[in-house]
Amino acid sequence: MSDAPEFQYDDIEPLPISGGQEGELCQIMYDGEYRTVMGIARALLQKLEFSERALHATSQAIDLVPAFYTMWNYRFQIVKALYGTDGAELNRELDWLDEFTLNNPKNYQIWSYRQALLRLHPSPEFQRELPILQSMIDDDTKNYHVWSYRRWCVLFFGDFTNELQFASSLIARDVYNNSAWCHRMFVLKNQVPKGPPAEALTGELHYTKKQIELAPQNISSWNYLRGLYDEFLDGKADPAIMEFALSFTPGIFAADASDTGPQIQSSYALEFLARAYAKNEDTFAQARKAYQALSDHFDPIRKNFWAYKIRSLTA
Amino acid sequence: MSAAPIPDGRLTIQKHRRFLQRHLAILPSKYQEYEANKLAIVTYALIGLSCIGDPVSEEYAASKEWLRRHYRVIGRGETSLAGFFPSLYMEVENALTLSLTSTLFGLISLLCLNDHKFFISDVDREGICRFVSKCHKPETGGFAASLDVVAEDSLEPSKTDPDDLRHTYMAIAILYLMGCRNASEFGRYVCLEPLFSHFEQKACVSGGFGQYGEPHAGYTSCALSILELISDRWDIFPNSFYDKTIEWLLQRQVSDKCPEMSGNEYFDPEDDGGFQGRENKFADSCYGFWCANSLSILKAPHKVGDAYQNGLSEYLLNKTQNLLLGGFAKNDNEDPDLYHTCLTLAALSMMSGEFDGTLFLPRKVADTARSQFIAP
Ligand SMILES: [Zn+2]
Repeated sequence: MSDAPEFQYDDIEPLPISGGQEGELCQIMYDGEYRTVMGIARALLQKLEFSERALHATSQAIDLVPAFYTMWNYRFQIVKALYGTDGAELNRELDWLDEFTLNNPKNYQIWSYRQALLRLHPSPEFQRELPILQSMIDDDTKNYHVWSYRRWCVLFFGDFTNELQFASSLIARDVYNNSAWCHRMFVLKNQVPKGPPAEALTGELHYTKKQIELAPQNISSWNYLRGLYDEFLDGKADPAIMEFALSFTPGIFAADASDTGPQIQSSYALEFLARAYAKNEDTFAQARKAYQALSDHFDPIRKNFWAYKIRSLTA
Repeated sequence: MSAAPIPDGRLTIQKHRRFLQRHLAILPSKYQEYEANKLAIVTYALIGLSCIGDPVSEEYAASKEWLRRHYRVIGRGETSLAGFFPSLYMEVENALTLSLTSTLFGLISLLCLNDHKFFISDVDREGICRFVSKCHKPETGGFAASLDVVAEDSLEPSKTDPDDLRHTYMAIAILYLMGCRNASEFGRYVCLEPLFSHFEQKACVSGGFGQYGEPHAGYTSCALSILELISDRWDIFPNSFYDKTIEWLLQRQVSDKCPEMSGNEYFDPEDDGGFQGRENKFADSCYGFWCANSLSILKAPHKVGDAYQNGLSEYLLNKTQNLLLGGFAKNDNEDPDLYHTCLTLAALSMMSGEFDGTLFLPRKVADTARSQFIAP
């Protein structure tokens, strides 16, 4: 970074990096910059120096070895020693971290370091976190760590206000985004301890059905639908939802369904139906038919599993 | 002590051997960014070589002492702490640089090199267990991977480490290798009740495990391995939940024979037989290992057969193996890398009954550890 102040380390004897030990494995050919940076950062740590220049040295060390947990922790202790709980200074540290995050999206210390900073901060704000979350999601819409961090923030700040809308916007971009669907379920399960109110649930069912109509062969939306029933509706599929699922599997349950099998739009609809039919002895025959069709035509890779499901159909 | 090699003629063993050996030799400077994972590199290479039947304990016997130099006991007697740090120069005076990750990889590497003496007489067993215990965060049930580098008043779990299921797995695996075999023995070092409630939060509605309700095959493997190692606490979930887990895992196998998924950018028919880590993602060779390990812990082959293994082997050998350079890639269009090479060989070896995925060791090495390193 060009605007970084120049720090002097002339008084610091860099700790050497010795190689070529007896029996050494993975002997890395460190370059000169690496030896200098690591030599100084480690020497400062050994002296337990908590200073601006030590802070700068850790950023250089972390740039070279992003997974060096010791340096992250040392950095945090420097921040604490220098700034205590001064919000403005901690925001400056968050700025540095934003920059680092954009350059190291796959690193996974960045998020736990962030959490530590927010826990230290006297007046942390969800607002402050949104731009970096947005740009990381824009960059990789299924980045697991970023989604996890967002959910941590939601719980930390106790603020669910924008979350369903956020999930919807990602689903609108890509209806197959499983992280966005899981985010929806996370909101439903955590926003109200005893579960969402009835009208919210009706809204969710309506929304999900619309998304399924857009892309019927989508495990994420079907899992979500199943989740709504299992978590909030006693797992009981009503006639309307059965009708809905049947609309993607025309002809499967007809008495004279031929061996070659008709074309269906969704194997997940068929699974949904099979699971519902398997709950009641009176509909075992339909369940068996559905599992058999999955096995024969629509999901043959899991043939043995569907056979197991058929074997499990007992009163 | 090496594993019986994987019995498949399509495996280009000689190339994989050279690929793996190269990672243990002199490495160019671009590897310096992995310095904090050096013992992981050692482990992946030694495990990979063991899976193709190489007698690594003979070939790398001279490195036993070098590996042991990463082991450190801090303090003495009743309050000592012991463990490994990731690289020799990462030990810094006045700072606590041991980590759970390095400790587990250090122990695994020494086991691969057959250093039984270390385990039977030289290790400070209680010191290692105390270190694990210090990394534990009873208030959340999880583990940091290290301690605050400069202790203020007392030793504290690092405030800057993540505390996900990976670290819990490492903590439990280390305690297992130090002799713990059941809940009451593990309970001497970690608070199991918060650990299990931490666990329940990671169980997702669809049957997998992951953070905040999003299931992930890697975390699922960690969760099930932990239960397997603790051995007598499967009751924290009902049996119906484990059935769901099996189903969720089997659903991770990608198939090219399904109704059309128009517009799904993450579907590739070439992935047929491979496993994905999450719904609607591409197959990736490493998830073949995590899913196959999870399924075998749940004894899925007894329930639903082992046909999934055929598809997986085909995918791994035909799509991710690099016939020119050796090694395996994550999928059919990346370059091979050490991690995916190790995990793929481990998956193939596990499917032929020669690898213990729970301890991440070749079967014979794991059997020795299981039967011999028992708490005194
Ligand atoms: Zn992978």
